[in-house]
Amino acid sequence: MRKTSLVICLALVLGLGQAASDRAGVQAATDESLFREAKLLVFDKNWPAALGKIDELIDRFPASPLAGQALFYKGECLGGLGGRERDALRAYKSYIRLEDAKPSLVEESEGSIVDLAYDLYQAGDASALRDIESRLDHANKVIRYYAAYKLSLIADKKEAVKAVPVLSRIVETEKDPELLDRARIALLRVSPESLKSAEERQPRTAEMTGRTLHLRIRAAGQKEPAVSLNIPFALADLALSALDDEDKAELRKKGYDVNRIINEMAKSKESILRIVGEDGTVFEIWID
Amino acid sequence: MSMRKMTKAEWAAFLSGDREEGRRRIMGEHIEKSPGWQAEAAAIERLLKETEAVKAEIREAAASVNWDTLPAMIADRALAAGVQARRNVADSPRWGWLASFPLKPVLAGLAAGLVVGAAAMYFTLRAPGVRRGQDNAYYASGDFLDRAELEMARRNTLDYLEKSQYVLLDVFESADEGPVVPPALRSERARDLLQKKKYLNAQLERFQMAKAKVLCDQIETLFLELSQLDEELSAAELGRIRGFVEERQLLLKINLVKKELQSGV
Repeated sequence: MRKTSLVICLALVLGLGQAASDRAGVQAATDESLFREAKLLVFDKNWPAALGKIDELIDRFPASPLAGQALFYKGECLGGLGGRERDALRAYKSYIRLEDAKPSLVEESEGSIVDLAYDLYQAGDASALRDIESRLDHANKVIRYYAAYKLSLIADKKEAVKAVPVLSRIVETEKDPELLDRARIALLRVSPESLKSAEERQPRTAEMTGRTLHLRIRAAGQKEPAVSLNIPFALADLALSALDDEDKAELRKKGYDVNRIINEMAKSKESILRIVGEDGTVFEIWID
Repeated sequence: MSMRKMTKAEWAAFLSGDREEGRRRIMGEHIEKSPGWQAEAAAIERLLKETEAVKAEIREAAASVNWDTLPAMIADRALAAGVQARRNVADSPRWGWLASFPLKPVLAGLAAGLVVGAAAMYFTLRAPGVRRGQDNAYYASGDFLDRAELEMARRNTLDYLEKSQYVLLDVFESADEGPVVPPALRSERARDLLQKKKYLNAQLERFQMAKAKVLCDQIETLFLELSQLDEELSAAELGRIRGFVEERQLLLKINLVKKELQSGV
């Protein structure tokens, strides 16, 4: 039954086949057809029309097994409309409280709640932060991590530092390189000293990744560097790729690209790589 | 009384009534005859009245003093201050010479100015040369971190699109030749991509990568459906999904956006 209904659901969602099975009655066909139309409209981001279909489904068929799932899509539509973030929050929160809520949609709902709360906070509603902070100790790490990441983007450092314990934990334990890099950059933004401590605590740190990459770029004749940064070596590739286009061009003229610099750094750990560009720009890179 | 110029003390004695009666009368007659003396007498009288007001306050304060115990108190405090001063000098012998230096407010201000100025000059003019081994704290400017995040967004979006392509191609192959990847694994992959997409949303919006966002959003909706299907799809259903992806030209759009991202945002 589950298989059949799921397959039917997908088929109907995509609107590409015969909709209902023989067992589905007239009412089922109707609520399912409404659901299918609504999802197709969601796919095309036609929020007002999709919301109309969803509301019709919930009003006409409150006992339908699709009415619960429709709440999730109602949240999607309200969030997409703009200006109705609080209504969207209510819809998602209603969905995650349902007993038969699907785990994948619950995860999506939680992520959307964090996003909406962030938007509301940015628009001036300070109380909206509670919805993010309360998810910092969520049992599901996907939700916990995402809440910490979003909190780190907040300009008010007093609030943003609340994300530090979760971000530090990611740096210490996570294996996914994408998540690791995000957590490192988030910590560099909020609390660089916490990143340093977390890097030093993590037992799996390789010799090079535990080191600090120093980069100074000085324009010709200048003592004060235009760029000055100390970052974990693990972010070296990303940092060097993020250099100004002009700086990258100068390095290229001298035969250096990101890979060559990283390789030379890795080979000669103790020395300073000093590259003088054709325009006199001085690049100093070293690892401690 | 001769008509020589009167001293301040004589004026004060006369005006306060301290002189004997005969002398006061003679002085009064002289004053009446001379307008200059009259003006001087008036001025000194005003001064004496003002002094009288101050004297009243002094008398009041003096009345509150216990003159019997005052000498002992002064002696005790003087001795205690001497001990404290010696202790301070002993505690900081290098700066002891300052204790004897009369730090008037102007001098103190000048000294503070010199210290602040020297500190400002140090921080402004010091050459931030390479000081290896001393400067290991992490730091990077907000601008630089923004650029690093933009670079990360570019790479991660590329990665997301490539992985999405694999999942969609798997659906295509499954439609032709039966299931290639177990449905549960396909569902798991779809959920992984949904997680990645959450992080991408923030970056795609922040760095105005609109075209990539529209495409990623469409793929996300498709994966939302796939993530809920953990059982085997029939060839017919897979065929329908394939038709949908073809109709929307999703694979073509993925390739186009990938090309743009590979050549820089």
